[in-house]
Amino acid sequence: MAYDMKPLFRERMEKLLPKKEDFEKFEKIVHTSPRNFIRCNTLKITSHELYERLKKRWNVSQPFPSAPEIMVIESELGPGELGNALEHLLGYYYVQELSSMLSVLALNPQPGEFVLDVCASPGSKTTQIAAKMENQGTLIANDVRTDRIKILSSNLERCGISNSIITQNDGVVLCERLSKTDFKFDKILLDAPCSGEGTLRSSPKTFVMWNPKVIKNLSRQQKKLFANAVKCLKVGGQIVYSTCTHAPEENEEVVDFALSNFPLHLESIHLPVKCRPGVKDWEDKHYSKEVEHTCRIYPQDNDSEGFFVSKFTLKEEIKA
Amino acid sequence: MNVRFLASKEKKEIIEQLDEQFGISELPYLLIETGKEKIRGFSGTMSKDEIMELGRLARIEIIGLYAIKRELQGEMRLSFDATQILKDKITRNIVKINDEQLHEWIRGRDLLIKGEKGLVVIQHNQDFIGCGASNGEKIFNYIPKERRIRK
Repeated sequence: MAYDMKPLFRERMEKLLPKKEDFEKFEKIVHTSPRNFIRCNTLKITSHELYERLKKRWNVSQPFPSAPEIMVIESELGPGELGNALEHLLGYYYVQELSSMLSVLALNPQPGEFVLDVCASPGSKTTQIAAKMENQGTLIANDVRTDRIKILSSNLERCGISNSIITQNDGVVLCERLSKTDFKFDKILLDAPCSGEGTLRSSPKTFVMWNPKVIKNLSRQQKKLFANAVKCLKVGGQIVYSTCTHAPEENEEVVDFALSNFPLHLESIHLPVKCRPGVKDWEDKHYSKEVEHTCRIYPQDNDSEGFFVSKFTLKEEIKA
Repeated sequence: MNVRFLASKEKKEIIEQLDEQFGISELPYLLIETGKEKIRGFSGTMSKDEIMELGRLARIEIIGLYAIKRELQGEMRLSFDATQILKDKITRNIVKINDEQLHEWIRGRDLLIKGEKGLVVIQHNQDFIGCGASNGEKIFNYIPKERRIRK
C-alpha cells in the first residue's frame, strides 16, 4: 500500500532538500523497496568464502572494496528467502540495511576494547561491533525492553558472539550509574531511538505515524541519553551518535548540545558512501559550524535508507 | 541473573570430557553455569569480580555464548553455535553427511545413520551443523526450532 507524505513532513523535507530535482528523487525513492543488503559475519566465515557460496545461488556483489563484508543481493528474492537460507541459519550473515552499518564503520571498534552499545536491540550493530572486535575485549549490549532483549540475545547467539554481556536497563539510568564508577569505555555507540524518517522504504507506516510532537520529545530524550552516555567515556575515548531520521532536532541539535556542554571534539567521518554535511541552520536555530562534520545519508544518494552519523572524541575529563 | 562462575577445577574436568568426546583440548572462555545444566562461555576481558560489580549496577540478562549442556550421563553436548565457533578444535566423533542428509537434518529430522552410541557433531562439507545423539541406529536431531529451515 502506498502512503502520501504528511504536508508538514513534505515541507520540512523540501527545506532540507531545496533543489527541486533532489526532492523529487527523494520522494520517488522512498516509495520503493530497499535493496537487499547483508553483512558477512566474519566470526564464522570469511567474506570471500561467503561470497563464493552465495554467488552460486544469487546475483551477489560486494560494492565496497574497503568493506568486503557488505554484500548486496541483486536477484529477485521470494518472501523470507534471505532469512530461511542455510547460511543465515548458520549465522554466516546478517540481513542489515546499508545505512544501518555506517555507525559501526564510523565507530571502528577494535579487538580488546571496552565497548558499550546503549540501545542495542535488535542487535544488527551489536553483532557488527563484536565481529570487528573479533570476540575479544568486552561489549556491553544494553536495551530496556524485555521483548527486545529476547530478539537481541537470539541474534547474538546466532552470530556466535561470546564477548558480550547483555544488560536490561533504561539507558539513562545505566549510564548514570556507570559514570559514577571506574567503568570507563573506549568506545560507545548511541544509536538513539528516533522518529525513523529514514526508514520509509522498509517501513512505509512511518508515513502515517509521523508526528512533529514526537520529534520534540525524542530530541529531549536523545540529549538526556547523550549527556549520560558521554560521562562513561575514557578521556580519548570515542562516542558515535546516530539515528535513522532526517529531523535536525534529533541530529544536529543533539550534536550542538553535546559540543556546548562537554569537552568534545567532533571528528570528520570517512564512510564508503555519499554523505552530505550536517545542517547549520534549521528554523529559528543556528548550530555550531562544526556540525558540518556530521554525515547525513539520504536514500536518493546511495539507493539506501536515510541515516545520520556523528562521532566525537572526549578531550578531557568531564567535571561534575 | 542466576549464574555461577565455574572454578578452574570444574573447567578442567569439562575440558577433559570435551577432549574425550570431541578432541577439544582447550576452551579459551570464562565458563558460567546458568539454569538447566547450561554452560555459557565468555571470551571478554572483564574478570569475575568486575562482572559481579557490573551486576550490582545493572540488571545483567545474559553473559557470553551458550556453549555446552551437561547431559545426565555426564556427557557434554555442544550447542549449535559452539560447533561452529569451535570447529577448528573438533577432531573426534564427527559424522559427515551428504546433501540429502543435510536436507533432512536442517529441517529438524533425525538421520538413519548407524554408528557408535553417544553424542556426535554433524558436518556437511565445511559447515558444522550442531550436535546429535546416536543410539547406534539413528542420530537424534538437536537443532533448535528457530534454527531449522521451515517447509
